[in-house]
Amino acid sequence: KLFLIVIVDSLVHWADLEPVPQDDGPNPVVKIAYSEKFSDVYDYFRALLKKDERSDRAFALTAEAIELNAANYTVWHYRRVLLQALQKDLREEMRYITDIIEEQPKNYQVWHHRRMVVEWLNDPSEELEFIADILSQDAKNYHAWQHRQWVIQEYKLWDNELEFVEKLLEEDVRNNSVWNQRHFVISHTTGYSSPAILDREVQYCLNQIRKAPHNESAWNYLKGILQDRGMSSHPGLLEQVLELKETHCSPYLLAFLVDCYEDALENNNQKETLNRALEVCEYLAQEKDTIRKEYWLFLQRSLESRFGPSAASGEPLADGTEPPAGQQELS
Amino acid sequence: MAEEESQLEEFEQIDFLRDRHVRFFQRTLQVLPERYASLETTRLTVMFFAVSGLDVLDALDVIDRNNMIEWIYSLQVLPTEDQSNLSRCGFRGSSHIGIPYSVKGPGVLHPYDSGHVAMTYTGLTSLLILGDDLSRVNKQACLAGLKALQLEDGSFCAVPEGSENDIRFIYCAACICYMLDDWSGMDIQKAIEYIRGSMSYDNGFGQGAGLESHGGWTFCAIASLCLMGRLEEALSQRELDRIRRWCIMRQQSGFHGRPNKPVDTCYSFWVGATLELLDVFQYTNYEKNRNYILSTQDRLVGGFAKWPDSHPDPLHAYLGLCGLSLIGEPNLRKVHPALNITQRAFQHLQQLQQTWRDNAGTCT
Repeated sequence: KLFLIVIVDSLVHWADLEPVPQDDGPNPVVKIAYSEKFSDVYDYFRALLKKDERSDRAFALTAEAIELNAANYTVWHYRRVLLQALQKDLREEMRYITDIIEEQPKNYQVWHHRRMVVEWLNDPSEELEFIADILSQDAKNYHAWQHRQWVIQEYKLWDNELEFVEKLLEEDVRNNSVWNQRHFVISHTTGYSSPAILDREVQYCLNQIRKAPHNESAWNYLKGILQDRGMSSHPGLLEQVLELKETHCSPYLLAFLVDCYEDALENNNQKETLNRALEVCEYLAQEKDTIRKEYWLFLQRSLESRFGPSAASGEPLADGTEPPAGQQELS
Repeated sequence: MAEEESQLEEFEQIDFLRDRHVRFFQRTLQVLPERYASLETTRLTVMFFAVSGLDVLDALDVIDRNNMIEWIYSLQVLPTEDQSNLSRCGFRGSSHIGIPYSVKGPGVLHPYDSGHVAMTYTGLTSLLILGDDLSRVNKQACLAGLKALQLEDGSFCAVPEGSENDIRFIYCAACICYMLDDWSGMDIQKAIEYIRGSMSYDNGFGQGAGLESHGGWTFCAIASLCLMGRLEEALSQRELDRIRRWCIMRQQSGFHGRPNKPVDTCYSFWVGATLELLDVFQYTNYEKNRNYILSTQDRLVGGFAKWPDSHPDPLHAYLGLCGLSLIGEPNLRKVHPALNITQRAFQHLQQLQQTWRDNAGTCT
């Protein structure tokens, strides 16, 4: 009976339309074998598209087409044309796109569509909660984080985001997306220039590292906020890191140390600093980060070449002696 | 060299099943079941994975190149008689709009027909790989279509109707301009600004400003700058060293795309190629990388998957091969790390471009 209803329905509602099949010519490549139902929906979709028909039956068909292939960007575009031409209820569309994204959260087209509808409504009020729900299912969904950053920046919804970040870091301190969001929020609100904020962030990092030492994200954040503000000049940091080295060591801690020493060498080339840096590189290469052995040895050579005794000049001195150690590197 | 070869012999316990992969790509080029429906609008990129994959395997002789070339040309969006659609020209991903099959112009006027930047890019690369001379490509139309996609902030959309915009499409645009040897289709300075703006605090690149750094977007950033010939102009030595560090930290066995995420075969290419472009791929651990990629090999149907014991797909099959090619796996052709085609196909491109320059010189 359902079969008959479908036939009658199409005779009644689509009789005027000549379906348009796909035409790949005599030698199709990467051809997808569609069922009759799938082809029917899309053959009619193509017919409507050709006419640029603006009707309710067209709008209804886009939903069918989307259900079969939500990645077809032409269908979504046509649906948006119809939403506007037919003055459709955008609140209802928000409900629709919410359902679709929950089913297919890693699809580019659905998130773009949601963004368009939010823009048309000029109403972001559901977004943070919706995205939080998607993130509760996959806390690293790149699309979700991208949409979240867009909403926050566009509609200036910064107020509670740091709190959201801290909550998620408590759930998983290794979630790199959340650390990124932390940087996003702070850099767009208070910034990192004030010593109070910078110190707060440095201490926050070190505390997280104490709880979970083997966490590249925390170390990347620490280095990230300090690398252009003088890693070796932040008061007491080097000492804290050297302390942590004894009880909470990791390849990331050691790499951070090397970077601290490099920063120090750039400001004041001391033989002792260079030796420490070379030692840490050796330790990384031979014991603590052996997968990157060749890289740490390369870095070692590079530091030696930039700051070592032979770096002072390209040639031996006139009297054949070596230039003194600790000499400033010639640029 | 000899030392490297004997190293490879030592860890060849996991064997590389060349013939299975050839057959995997052959099947990909034929018919896919309906569950692959979501690939409809991107079929041309799937063709690229298979065709370039066969090229890397030195097995292009198993396919009918001329028939495939015709199919690609049927996807070109050509200018209409009155040239009113120039800003929509390029290549389609497939016949999904319903334009009747045709390999020559003039273009058909259709309210929703337009090119897609990733399809123009993979259409051109596929033609090159198949040995075509691009003589039937309307280059000016492609570049006009490309220009229409660039936004004020320097990034590109994928299609003129509008879409998301990000660094992926800058990479596609850079490849198109590079292959056509014509940068009039993009504002390079703006693109560079967008790329620089996408650099994260941790020295990787995100999809755009503020976004999390990621191996795929880092490849797009660095490869684009290399194709533009602006790597050292856009990034200081200090920045390049920091980027090297971010990239090299992605190796866990194989590579992952973001800190604290699981490894995935495709990053052996995205991150591997980036490291190669930055001259430090030689400092990675080849054995662990190889072992991981081969652990994702499907021994029955061929191809590679993102993880072991998972279903293979054309993208991971292709990028897994490219990852192996980077470490010098025997019997695989070398891959150009920025353009992502074999060196053989790249040489064909260079010869073509020389011909174009010679012809331009002799024009009266």
